Amino acid sequence: MEVQSLPVDYLPILFQMLVALGFVVLTMTITHLIGPKRKTADKLSPFEAGIEVVGNARTPVSIKYFLVAILFVLFDIEVIFMYPWAVNFREFGVEGLIEMFIFMATLLLGYIYVIKKKAIEWGD
Amino acid sequence: MSALITITILALLLLYLGLFKAKKALLPVALIGLMVALVLSLMEWDSNAAPIFSNMMLYDRFAVAFSGITIFLTILIIALSKDYFERISSNVAEYYALILFSLAGIILMVSYHNLSMLFIGIEIMSVSLYILAGIKKRDFASNEAALKYFLMGAFSTGILLFGVTLIYGASGSFDLEGIKQYILKDPTAVSPLLYTGITLLIVGLSFKVGAAPFHFWVPDVYEGSPSLISAYMSTVVKVAGFAAFLRLIMFSFAPLQDFWIPMIIGMSVLSLLIGNVTAVYQQHFKRMLAYSSISHVGYMLFAIIALNGSSDNAVFVYAAAYSVATIIAFGVLILLQGQVGNDSFDSFNGLARKNPFLALTLTIAMLSLAGIPLTAGFIGKFMMFSKALSSYHIFLVVFAALNAMIGIFYYFKVIVAMYFKEEDRKELIVPVYFKLVLGFSALVTIALGVYPDFIASLI
Repeated sequence: MEVQSLPVDYLPILFQMLVALGFVVLTMTITHLIGPKRKTADKLSPFEAGIEVVGNARTPVSIKYFLVAILFVLFDIEVIFMYPWAVNFREFGVEGLIEMFIFMATLLLGYIYVIKKKAIEWGD
Repeated sequence: MSALITITILALLLLYLGLFKAKKALLPVALIGLMVALVLSLMEWDSNAAPIFSNMMLYDRFAVAFSGITIFLTILIIALSKDYFERISSNVAEYYALILFSLAGIILMVSYHNLSMLFIGIEIMSVSLYILAGIKKRDFASNEAALKYFLMGAFSTGILLFGVTLIYGASGSFDLEGIKQYILKDPTAVSPLLYTGITLLIVGLSFKVGAAPFHFWVPDVYEGSPSLISAYMSTVVKVAGFAAFLRLIMFSFAPLQDFWIPMIIGMSVLSLLIGNVTAVYQQHFKRMLAYSSISHVGYMLFAIIALNGSSDNAVFVYAAAYSVATIIAFGVLILLQGQVGNDSFDSFNGLARKNPFLALTLTIAMLSLAGIPLTAGFIGKFMMFSKALSSYHIFLVVFAALNAMIGIFYYFKVIVAMYFKEEDRKELIVPVYFKLVLGFSALVTIALGVYPDFIASLI
């Protein structure tokens, strides 16, 4: 079962890295050299969605944004587990189905908990 | 295995009890559930267990013994939590659930048969603890503890994972048995990657148990966290970390002793020296306990240095003795902090006159931690020292005995303050749960000290 690999087998990886790095360095240098340079005050100012910047960037942001973001990640990740299960659906059979239901039930419990805790309620 | 499932379901149940405002039921349900889990895990006592879940876990005697002791200690600690969490905030159910989730991780840590399970167990445990360390949201010390613990923990997990990767690179297996077979095939010609991997794994696990020179987070985190959580961290978590450490080394790396023994000896000596010497200079009881926990890691490492078939027994006895005594100490500390608001040694003055029961149990705990005969701590130290002697580490034992003497000095500071320093003070109110836990723990300490056979040849 042991597959012997020699250092030379890793050469493609080295090439890949060189090409990736080279592309970045090359494009950045070339655009820097041949691109026109017209600097105005407006272009140099930080900018978000076309709106002029007002005040300091370090203002407190409502914790609810973070909460929603984290909950989104949580329930988004769950889908990753669905893909391999769906691909191997036939091989896993009924047992796999039950296991998946347990997994989904646990997540559902978490979801109910989140709603009950009013974590995604914005009204106040 | 049913213990793991029971604990996880119990944690979810507690979350929902909290949602539906059944606050009164939380503590009894948690205690009953944990007792059920304890019984279920003891029922799987089986000397020829086979790996389960595609070789992911092995619920052998070792796993049963260590999950038994961790569940038992958690029961003791949770029993101390009556009215404790309510003072911090109203999210009491979440705190219980988090403790139980971390316990679920711990069950994985003591019963893994695959390095990925070790990693998952450590992560489940640690992530819950990062939150628990910082539950006093308005307290700077608690915030500092949580942040420090998180950063250090994240780094150490990274190092651990790097070690796992290198070991996989060398042996082509995450499975403990597979790694063992790879090493046994030709112990003299293993890949250098494996040596690096072992070193990194040892470093990562030493972070988790708080062995010097990877102990820097221990005092601040233990001091800053709420006392009940510190009690949990310095007992249950430490025992679990040690069990994971021992399991890995006993199972897989025993043939490479010559490589890792010098490292472990170095860590043990440093832990003893730093833990004991620094503890002498502490003015506060909680910080002293933190440093003393570092020194006890040094003693426990003896079992790994003198590795043989009974190492698990020695660690088991030592861990039980140390944990039970530490729970008493933290129990008294919680009462003192709650009612006096201070945990310097002076605040113990005159405690024996007003609270003879508290003073007595704390004295038993301190004697046990110091290793005085007729307490469990002595048996633990005795087993450790005799193991080290049996593998001819004479200087190490002499050094450890000297350190044990230093230990006696700072543990007795508390006893002297309680019994021989007079001060007018109010009597501390001791709730029933505290009386039960403290009395029971003191009894266990004495019982183990007088009749150690009871658990000494268990595994």
